[in-house]
Amino acid sequence: MDNVLTELGQALVDGSLSDDDLLARTSGPAPIQILPEANVIKIGGQSFIDRGRAAVFPLIDEIVANLGRHQMILGTGAGTRARHAYSVGLDLGMPTGVLSVLGTFVSMQNARMLNYLLAKHGIPFIEPAQFAQLPLYLAERGAVIFFGMPPYVYWHQNPAVGRIPPHRTDTGAYLVSEVLGTRSMIYVKDVDGLYTADPKKDPHARFIPRITVAEMRALDLQDVVIERAVLDFMVNAQSRRSVQVINGLVPGNLTRALDGEPVGTIITAD
Amino acid sequence: MDPETDAKPRHHVRSRLMRESLLDRAVERSTEGAVYRMLPEAHVLKIGGRSIMDAGRGVVYPVVEALAAALKTKKLILGTGGGVRTRHVFSIGIDLGLPTGVLAQLAQADALANAHILGTLLAPYGVVAIPPEIFGHLLPLLIHGAPGVVFSSVPPYSLWEHPPNVGRIPPHRTDAGSFLLAECFGCKSLTLVKDVDGLYDADPQREPAARFIPEIGVAALRRLGLATLPFEPVLLDLLQNARLVDRFQVINGLHPERIGAALAGEHVGTIVHRER
Repeated sequence: MDNVLTELGQALVDGSLSDDDLLARTSGPAPIQILPEANVIKIGGQSFIDRGRAAVFPLIDEIVANLGRHQMILGTGAGTRARHAYSVGLDLGMPTGVLSVLGTFVSMQNARMLNYLLAKHGIPFIEPAQFAQLPLYLAERGAVIFFGMPPYVYWHQNPAVGRIPPHRTDTGAYLVSEVLGTRSMIYVKDVDGLYTADPKKDPHARFIPRITVAEMRALDLQDVVIERAVLDFMVNAQSRRSVQVINGLVPGNLTRALDGEPVGTIITAD
Repeated sequence: MDPETDAKPRHHVRSRLMRESLLDRAVERSTEGAVYRMLPEAHVLKIGGRSIMDAGRGVVYPVVEALAAALKTKKLILGTGGGVRTRHVFSIGIDLGLPTGVLAQLAQADALANAHILGTLLAPYGVVAIPPEIFGHLLPLLIHGAPGVVFSSVPPYSLWEHPPNVGRIPPHRTDAGSFLLAECFGCKSLTLVKDVDGLYDADPQREPAARFIPEIGVAALRRLGLATLPFEPVLLDLLQNARLVDRFQVINGLHPERIGAALAGEHVGTIVHRER
């Protein structure tokens, strides 16, 4: 008799997907890199776009200067309006899933604004439903814009503490870089990277150019430079096992990061 | 002060989270509070894919009759699993080297097909499958106007699915999608309809001395360290962090009378509850 199922296929059809022994057999072969030449760049909301023209225009110029040199998948943060929406929503008893919807709207506003600034270069903004067209846009125009929030909406899981959606735009952008197997994940923020303490409050704060997730957890920082979920996911990731945080207010930093230079802080899983 | 930062000030909107880092633990704690229930009278049922939908007319028709009877007095939100076809597409996708997020995207199709099958069988009662694109937003309107709705309970994680701890299979499948929906909408109950009576302390098919577990908490269940569970393990994490759903019940749909009993609040399977 013809068996149309592979051995793994038969095991999955017959077995339990909660069985770790069976799940371990689903690890290989290693996943393909869907877009190995692309770079995912997340542009901060509160840290960057909320600063307006003074911060955003020079970065736009730098993005344009890199068209044709590097493929860029540009995700946007949400920022101060999301904080306002979360504050209003928390007071009114909105569940985390609804807060996630509200945060998505703000990161979408930011994506639309960047889209108009880059429109004359033919760069589109795509929603999650249009991700199938992303490879074409990237091949044709060299860049594409998406909103950073992962599209979990009402299905956004609760955080262990509080009610703010735990998987926001850092996480959404990271997961795009992981699933597409891109060559980098760069976070454009308004700080040079990670410090041992807040440099604005503690003069002894030391800059950390490179750190592993395990070392970062051992520091047990009260506040971190990127969402904690990114660190959790990086440890389990099959493709994107490092991320880079750079200060986008410093001209040339984005280009250096795209060129593979160790500017800012690099956080690695290994 | 950093002159670069000073020259490019942020334009804030005044709010209690203004200027705060949302990653600060103290800020996170300050956002705890009571949560509004959107659909406190609606019940969520997840109808198993492989366990029920793939088991043929002899199993599915009695389940549909039980659901039809319940729809006379209760509002039901019915999710469906993807079953054998999802497991097949996972095996092909893994063989082709596709990552977890792509597998999660592919899985949507099979559960949606099963939702359409269940919706077809429940059509005489005014219950149909709702397209995922509009389902979440329109759910309160739909459930107010109809006795029930059917949805593909794959959550919309798709390419944004979390990398799993072990292997490549997406961890948030249709049990998780049903749970998260019930939690967000503050529904009255969540029932997982499978083909087993509930939880045992060992596999009853291999271990004749296996004992049935009528009710158990999340931490106690984790301590048991069972090799397999009749639901997605991620439900334990989701339940422990839930604010509105404090339990779910796993029941055997091969005894369809248990569906109505579970909806009436009876204990007819295994109840897993949150622990504080």
